[in-house]
Amino acid sequence: MMKFLAVLKREYKKVVFTWAFLITTFLMPLAASLFIVVPVFIFSIEGDTTRIAVADKSGRISERFQENLLPDKIREKAKKAAQESLNNPRVSQEEQMKRSAEQIGGKFEFVEYNAQNKSLEQIKRELNAKISQKNLDAYVIIPEDISRNDTKFEFYSRKPGDFVTNTSIENSLNEAVLSQRLADSNISEEKLEELSRNIAFNVKSISETGEEKEDSGSFWVAFIVAMLIYIVLLIYGQAIMSAIVEEKETRIAEILFSSAKPFELMLGKLVGVGLAGLTQLAIWITTLTILLSFGFVSAMLSGADITLPSITPQIIIYFFIFFFLGYFIYATIYALIGSMVTNMQEGGQFAFPPIMLLMLGLYFCFAVVRDPNSTFAFWVSILPFFAPIVMPVRIIAEVPPFWQIALAILLNLLTIFGLVWIASRVYRVGMLMYGKRASIPEVWKWIKQS
Amino acid sequence: MINVYDVIVYNTFKIINMNDKDITLRVENVSKYFGDFTAVKDLSFKIRAGRVFGFLGPNGAGKTTTIRMIVGITIPDEGKVELFGEKITPEIRDRIGYLPEERGLYRKMKVHDQLRYFAALKGVSQKEADKRIDFWLDRMKLSEWKLKKTTDLSKGMSQKLQFIATMLHDPDLLILDEPFSGLDPVNVEFMKDVIAEIKSRDKTIIFSTHLMETAEKLCDDILLLNKSHKVLSGSLRQIKESYGKNVISLRCIGGEKVLNDKNLVSNIIEHSDEKEIFLADDADPQMLLRKLIESGAEITKFEMVEPSLNDIFIDNVKDK
Repeated sequence: MMKFLAVLKREYKKVVFTWAFLITTFLMPLAASLFIVVPVFIFSIEGDTTRIAVADKSGRISERFQENLLPDKIREKAKKAAQESLNNPRVSQEEQMKRSAEQIGGKFEFVEYNAQNKSLEQIKRELNAKISQKNLDAYVIIPEDISRNDTKFEFYSRKPGDFVTNTSIENSLNEAVLSQRLADSNISEEKLEELSRNIAFNVKSISETGEEKEDSGSFWVAFIVAMLIYIVLLIYGQAIMSAIVEEKETRIAEILFSSAKPFELMLGKLVGVGLAGLTQLAIWITTLTILLSFGFVSAMLSGADITLPSITPQIIIYFFIFFFLGYFIYATIYALIGSMVTNMQEGGQFAFPPIMLLMLGLYFCFAVVRDPNSTFAFWVSILPFFAPIVMPVRIIAEVPPFWQIALAILLNLLTIFGLVWIASRVYRVGMLMYGKRASIPEVWKWIKQS
Repeated sequence: MINVYDVIVYNTFKIINMNDKDITLRVENVSKYFGDFTAVKDLSFKIRAGRVFGFLGPNGAGKTTTIRMIVGITIPDEGKVELFGEKITPEIRDRIGYLPEERGLYRKMKVHDQLRYFAALKGVSQKEADKRIDFWLDRMKLSEWKLKKTTDLSKGMSQKLQFIATMLHDPDLLILDEPFSGLDPVNVEFMKDVIAEIKSRDKTIIFSTHLMETAEKLCDDILLLNKSHKVLSGSLRQIKESYGKNVISLRCIGGEKVLNDKNLVSNIIEHSDEKEIFLADDADPQMLLRKLIESGAEITKFEMVEPSLNDIFIDNVKDK
C-alpha cells in the first residue's frame, strides 16, 4: 500500500507540476472566457453617433423612420434579438451577424434637410457636399412613390462597412415603409401587429415519470460535457501511454519490478494520472459553471426570458462516476498498448482504435440528445466504451430510469476489471521485453500464461 | 521429565537454523523456460553471508534470467529460491538491492526526487531516505548535482546515481549486474573501493559479469554458467588450485603435432608470445615436456602456472 501510494504521488506530481498542465488548466478557461466575454465587451462599446439626413421626397416616411431610430425603440429591439438568439441558437452565420447588430443598435442624430421640390441630382450634390465638409455621416433618399414594387431606397454613407448602423437603418426604414403601406391600405398598425405575431414556441420535455420541465440550454450543456469528457480521456489516456513507454524505453521497469508488484505499479500510475485529470476537470467545471452562470445572469438582466438548464447535484455525481469509468477503461487500454510497443511512434499507430471508439461515442451523443429515450440511445448509453461519454449526456438531456444507469455502471465496471486483469498481465511481461514490438499472438500467450 | 531425545532434536534444529541463517541465498534445482527455449536448466547453488559471489558466464548464458528469479521479477518454472532462509515475500525483497544491467533513470526528474522515489518504493521513510541520500551523494561526489535534472548528468554520473538508488534501503544482499559497464578506469577503481567497503560491513554481494579480470580481483566464490547450465562453482581459491597442477605456460617453436594430441592437451589459449596449455585429464607435465623435446621443438619457457580466471573461463566455455 505504501508503495502504491508512492507511485500514485509521483505520477500525480509528474503531471500536475508541469508548465504544460498549468497552462492548459488555467489558460483554457481563460481563452474560453475570452470567447464569451470579449465579444460582449466589444459589442457594448458604443460607436459614435451617426449624423443622418433623410431626404424624404414622399414626405410621409421621415417621421416614422426617425421614431424607429429613437434610443428607446432600439433598446427594445436589442432585447428581442438577444432573446431570439438564446432560444434558437442554430442559425446561419449571416443571421447571427444581423442579430448581434440588432443587439447593439447604435445611436443616431438627425440632421434637418428639406428635400421637397428638389431634383435627385440636386439632393445628392447638396448632401455629398455636407458629407465632405464632415457635417454629415449618411443620408437616405426616400422616393416619391413608396408603394411600387421596384421602388429603390438609396442609402449613402461615409462608412458603408458599419454593418451595425446599416442594419439598424435598414430595419427602421423597412418598418416605417411597411407601416405607411399598411396605413395606405387602411389596415391599422396595431391590427397588423396583432395578426402577424409569432407563435410562442416553448419547448418543454416530459420525463418518463410524466413530469414536465423547461428545456432550454440543455443541448449546449450536454454538448460541452461530452466534449470535456472526450478531451480529458484522450489527453490522459495518451499521458498514461507515454509514461509507460518512458519506463520501458529508459529501462527503469526492471528496477521498479524488483521493488514493487507490477500490479501495484500499474494501478498507482492509473490512479495517479487519473487524479491529475480529475484535478484539471474540476477546475474546468468550476470555471465553466461560474462563466455560464455569469452568462445566464447577464442574459437575464438584459431581459431575456430563459431558464437555467436543470443541473442537480445528482447529475454532477453521475458525471464524475462516468468520467471515472471512462477514464479507467481508456487509460487501461492505453496502458496495455504502452506495454506492448517499444517507442511512442509505435504507440501512436496502436492508439487509433481507442481514439476511434471515443469519437464514435462523441458522435452517438448528438443522436442521443435528439431522442434520449430511443432504443438506440438506451443501447449506446449502457454499452462499455461508449457509456462513459453517452450516459452523462443522456442524463442531462433526460434522466433515464435508475436501473439503466445502474446497468451502465455495472457493465462498465466489469469491463474495467476485465481490462485491468488483461493489462496487468501484458504489463508484467511486456515491460521487460526490450527491442521488439509484441505481436498480438504473443500478447495472447502472455495473458494465458501468467 | 525432560525427554533427552527432544533436547537432541531441539538442538539439531537449532544448528540447522543457524546454518540457514549463514546462507543468504539458496537456489535449488531451478529451471526456467521461455516457450521452447531453455534459459536456465536445473541450477543449484548457495551463497554464504558476507561473501562476494561472482556470477560468471558469456552473454546469453542465463545470468540475467537467474537474477530475475532471485529478485522475484519472474518465477522459476521448476525448483525453488530461498532468501535468508525463507521463501521470497515482498518484505524479503526489500532486503535486496538490485542494479540491473539494463538500467535507467527518469530523464526529467531531479536527482533528489528520483532517489526519494526509489527509496519509497523500497519502503524507506522519507526522513530516513533524505539522510541516506545526503550520505551517498557525498560519498559518490555528486552532492552538487542534488537539485539538477538527470538529463544534465554524464553517463558515468548516471551510473553512480543508479548505484546509489540500489543502496538507499541498506540492503543485506546486493546484486550488481555488470556494474562497471560504461565507467572510465578511474571510476571503476573508485567503485571497487566502495564495493569493498560494503563487503566489510558483512553484506552479501552477487556480482554478475563477463569480465574475468574484475571478477578475479573482487570475488570470493564463483559460479560459471554456460548455455543455461552450471559449469563450475566453488571458492575461487580452490578452483584455481585445482587447475594449478595442469596448466603450463609455454613458449616454444615447433612441436605443433604434440600440442594437437588430444590425449595430452585438452585446450590451448594463445597469448601474444606464449601459450597457456591445459593438460588432458590423464596427462602430466613431464610427459608433455618429454614429447616436446622428442619432437625437436625449441623450448624457451616451460612453467607450471596457476591459470587466470579468464583462462579457466575460456577453457570451460570454448567449443562446449
